[in-house]
Amino acid sequence: MTKLMAPGGTRRMAFSVLEAGADTVYVGVRGWSRRGSDTELTDAEVQDLCAAARAQGKHVRVVLNTMPSSTEVPLLLKKVDMYAGWGVTGFMISDIGSMVQVRSHFPDITIHVSVGAGLSNALEVKFYHELGASVVILPYRMGIEDVRAIKRSLDVGLEVFLFRTENLDGIVCPGKCTMSSYFSSNRWLDNEGKDYFYGSANRGGDCLRVCQVGWNATVDEHNLDGLIGLKGNPKLWLQELSDYIQAGVDYFKVPGRDRSDELVRDIVSFYRHVVDDLKCSPTDEVTARYDLELQELKKRWASERRKRDDRLVARAKG
Amino acid sequence: MFELSTHIPGPRQLHEIDLSAYDALYLGDYTCPLYPGNFSRNIETLSPAVERLKSMGKRCYLSLYAIPKDSDLVWIRELLYGARDLPLDGVEVHNMGLLGIVREILGDIPIHLGVFGNLYTHETARVLKTYGVERVFPNAELSLEELIYVRDHSPVDVVVPLHGKIPLAISGTCFVTDYTGQVPLHCEESCSQGHWLTHEEWELKSIGRANLSGKDLCMLEYLDRLVQSDLNLFYIYTLGETGAYVETAGRVYREALQKVGSNGEVSAARWLDQLRSVSHSGLCNGFYFGVSGQEYLSPQTLSPIA
Repeated sequence: MTKLMAPGGTRRMAFSVLEAGADTVYVGVRGWSRRGSDTELTDAEVQDLCAAARAQGKHVRVVLNTMPSSTEVPLLLKKVDMYAGWGVTGFMISDIGSMVQVRSHFPDITIHVSVGAGLSNALEVKFYHELGASVVILPYRMGIEDVRAIKRSLDVGLEVFLFRTENLDGIVCPGKCTMSSYFSSNRWLDNEGKDYFYGSANRGGDCLRVCQVGWNATVDEHNLDGLIGLKGNPKLWLQELSDYIQAGVDYFKVPGRDRSDELVRDIVSFYRHVVDDLKCSPTDEVTARYDLELQELKKRWASERRKRDDRLVARAKG
Repeated sequence: MFELSTHIPGPRQLHEIDLSAYDALYLGDYTCPLYPGNFSRNIETLSPAVERLKSMGKRCYLSLYAIPKDSDLVWIRELLYGARDLPLDGVEVHNMGLLGIVREILGDIPIHLGVFGNLYTHETARVLKTYGVERVFPNAELSLEELIYVRDHSPVDVVVPLHGKIPLAISGTCFVTDYTGQVPLHCEESCSQGHWLTHEEWELKSIGRANLSGKDLCMLEYLDRLVQSDLNLFYIYTLGETGAYVETAGRVYREALQKVGSNGEVSAARWLDQLRSVSHSGLCNGFYFGVSGQEYLSPQTLSPIA
């Protein structure tokens, strides 16, 4: 049964997506997810959320997908132990060694391989599955045929983003980019000893979206006209959703921890209706009925993205 | 004893560049299988290259494509089958899916984890050792302190890039064909040109499917500290560079490492001038000292590395 997983970038967002129909809410915790602290929850907020989700028969996933320092792995295990004790049933992790350690210490916990691991083929999915991953989050560049092939050969959970770039090859591979921290990086330790690596997309803090500024291109000293971006912007999508459900995708993931609470709530509500309708009647006619509403959500999504990118780029230049 | 290595992508570089400064060569451009004559893609170019380099007394490591899709695995398998009888000293892998294939086809040949393998922790190094990984290029974001920690707390060897443009991002599509509108498969000319991306003070170099730092990582002034930390596997990033760059950087670092090894005087100013003469946008220390990658710090301002 395909589940709908939604973000909790704030306490209010986390509670509202559960109300709007998410089966599972995923939240980042301070210093440990691939976003800034303003879209991560405090431990106290996570504890409250666990109680609320449990009361509704729903689940909380905690995102621990930064690439840690070697010396931070014991702290990561301590955090997992604490959150699991509060009722968190699964974690998103990127670092292979950390994932193996979590599996070893917590054999019953659900482990999602984060998109930050940067997978690109079915053999990589197999590799992570053998090491104990329960669910693998597929990058945009892997499409429906990849999903079918993996499901035919492996008994592993698959998670698919509900946004993707139109060119499925992607532009910059998720988890394989350090452009942001090359230009701007700031480090500090919190009370527990976690290094925030602000400016690094892989290590935490925020990716400062340097790929989104207009770049001038020069070829052998000759300037090309116009400005170029270095990364395509993923968009919400509907087409093929039915195929993904039938192929056995386990989770559809709504993005947007750094969007507004209202937009994310509306997106979750939208996809809840679409997925439920498709489960009853998996046809293109069903998705076609939702297309207008999708276009409106895409506009709001793009508008908020531009504001976020501007804010982050300004920090990089600051 | 130390090893100085670099990548050479194809036969043109092999024949045109003086590689005498290097002890070992990573064969192939792991960023783009379409690169003309790429050793990572063509057994026809790889076989004679290994033969030639072996006759020169060099160690040879085959470098495999960093982000293969399922469809790429077919030709990668063919390449590896073709390479079974070659006297390779190792295979560089950036993608976890390839670890099993290399083992299956080439047996227990030492595997080196490439920079896009995203190694950040000693725990990951320990896991990868069980898959045949003997040597790692840690992710470029690691500080020297972290890099040494991995070396000291795992059973793998750690390679330390000393110089060159740091690979910052990799893509399944080509930046150059995207912004020039040129057709892939007819991109030989594009790949021979210099592609630069600038935004205000920021600068990057594009080599097609990868973006590199605009500035050159330069650790010349820190060589004595690196050697004192018992680091001995050194590397120079040269993908996308001219022959003069590959030769100059190799020669300077070989001379400097030999001087440091024999406790001789390091004439940093003269060598730095030579490195600057082939640099496009200046020097940086990458991420080695825990600051943003494009900064260059004076040795006088830093405490010992380890």
